[in-house]
Amino acid sequence: MDDLSRRLLQRLVRRIPAQALKTTLGKWDRLTAAQRQSVDFTQPKWTITETLLAIFEENEWTMKHVTELEMIHIIDNPNQGMWYAFQLMDPEDDAKSVELTQFKEQFKAHLSELVRHVSVKIKKHTDEAVWIRIAWGDSFSRPNHMKPTYVVHHLQTPYVFVTSLTSKQKPLLSQALILSTRHQGIKDANLSGRKLAAIRDLLMKQYQQVFPTKYPGTLTEKNQTVSNPRIEREQAELGENRFQMACEAFGDGMLPQLQSAIYKLETKFRDHTNKTMTEREELPFKCVVKFSSTNLLESLRECAASGIASTPVTPLLSSIPLKGRNYFVITDNGLGPSSQTNQPQN
Amino acid sequence: MDGAPSKGVLSHLNLLEVLARSRKSQPQQHSRVNELKAKAAALMKQRDQLKAEIQTHQNLQKLRTSMDRQNSNDEEDEMDDDSENSENSQLLRLMARHTQLKDLLDAHHLIGGYDVIKTSRGKGVCVSLATAYEGVYLDTYNLEIDMKPKLRISRHNIPPFIPLNDLAEQSNMETNIKDFLDLLSRHLNAFAGRKQQLKIVKEELKSIEVMESNVLCSILVLMFTVPRQKTAVLCTLDYTDHTRCLPTRVHFDSEDQELPNSPEWKKNCSLLKETPVHKAIITMKKMGHIV
Repeated sequence: MDDLSRRLLQRLVRRIPAQALKTTLGKWDRLTAAQRQSVDFTQPKWTITETLLAIFEENEWTMKHVTELEMIHIIDNPNQGMWYAFQLMDPEDDAKSVELTQFKEQFKAHLSELVRHVSVKIKKHTDEAVWIRIAWGDSFSRPNHMKPTYVVHHLQTPYVFVTSLTSKQKPLLSQALILSTRHQGIKDANLSGRKLAAIRDLLMKQYQQVFPTKYPGTLTEKNQTVSNPRIEREQAELGENRFQMACEAFGDGMLPQLQSAIYKLETKFRDHTNKTMTEREELPFKCVVKFSSTNLLESLRECAASGIASTPVTPLLSSIPLKGRNYFVITDNGLGPSSQTNQPQN
Repeated sequence: MDGAPSKGVLSHLNLLEVLARSRKSQPQQHSRVNELKAKAAALMKQRDQLKAEIQTHQNLQKLRTSMDRQNSNDEEDEMDDDSENSENSQLLRLMARHTQLKDLLDAHHLIGGYDVIKTSRGKGVCVSLATAYEGVYLDTYNLEIDMKPKLRISRHNIPPFIPLNDLAEQSNMETNIKDFLDLLSRHLNAFAGRKQQLKIVKEELKSIEVMESNVLCSILVLMFTVPRQKTAVLCTLDYTDHTRCLPTRVHFDSEDQELPNSPEWKKNCSLLKETPVHKAIITMKKMGHIV
């Protein structure tokens, strides 16, 4: 076992809580029953590390095995950094018949053609997601296993989720992905967040959306014994209406947990009475608005349902779930003051 | 010493209070009677209203049956001579027609038509597409379609691996929405069917190992075991036609090179092409070809 894999294993054990480490080792399924019993999870971390290092030495396990362990842990605990969504574009005719073995071979082949030293590990998770771990090197240095990039992709869908990718590595990954999934292009999907499940659910439409139906609403009937039932009813109706519109815009039940939404406004100042501002015409007027919350979509739904935000919900806010993105640049399309319907653009 | 007279005063006051109260309660009783009378009147009015409603309903029913009979006999001539053409009877006729159309719509929906309603803002419609496989209702998908300024899908909950935009283009959605909905419904129903088949295989046929599948359920790799020899057979099912629940290509891989060419496995191949995978597996098991 070389020094690098030793360091990676040490860091891995240090970062995973003892109980989680136990489950991860169980799932890894490489330790014998005796070896598993020899690891005492109540001991301090350095003792556990020592025991595991000894087992690794004994079995002559290498970096490959340490990264396996790391992947299992990351797949179970993916929320450890920012995840960014990308969208594949213009599929070729054979894109829909790409299957796992072919994808694996192609991806590894294309990436190693682009980068001399790269270590790629691909694993299919139970939920049909393909997980890719990439340790990058370059022409002179060996793959750096301490800073791997993780990529999650569901074959036959246009979305790819990526974490820990530098701008230098981005074009390389993009090209390998485009070629191995048989597409013609890839673009930034303008959606990011700390929870992988949230951005996945939003783009894959795996949350409960509300559509108008002919069946009566799900709101429970209010108790109508209060002084004036007519006023009550009218208010309840208004409330129900607001609630319905809020749910139609954002969804029902548990919503994907996004932490923020950013709106970048780029426009020109348009008040003719204000000379100093209008004279700097060529310079755009810039402004950034950022909403943040532990669960942004639920906060926005609550605002609309309780009447704090007006209903029907402004397209600026409903675009988050509708378009599946949380970064918008709003530009001025130069139609004068009447152009208040500026749609969020790229 | 002061006890007795003061007690006298208090009891006197008590007495006065009781008297005053009983005097007050008399008009109260009076108002209670009025209240009850009003209530009785209201109830009576409600009864009459309900009676009238029953009457209308019965008339409506009668009109409906005669209308239905008329339709089934294909008699085009309207029979407006039975009652004087008053506003009331015309309204009744319209109402009957309305219930008739509503029933038709329900029936249409039951046999696989689409549920279409106007959206709350009135700008467009919302179409619901129900999916079913072997008589079991599965997921329902929705599409909100804006009608103005041009036909455009504004919101939906169809998963991204169904190529919605391609289907819209392919079927000329703007000019022929029915074709588009039919095509989309075929895709969704086939997907729901394949997904359900896979679910049955995973849950009920434990001796078969699912080696590979994808979100669209368009590729399925299964591991069969031949009894006695215990040879493993890798079976790849390729569902290239996404509007169908049956594979377009079936391929076997085995250590035993001869096996895929044997007559019984050739038969298995065509069986898998012609019957849903879970049923084909059950037949193959019964014939003793696989464990």
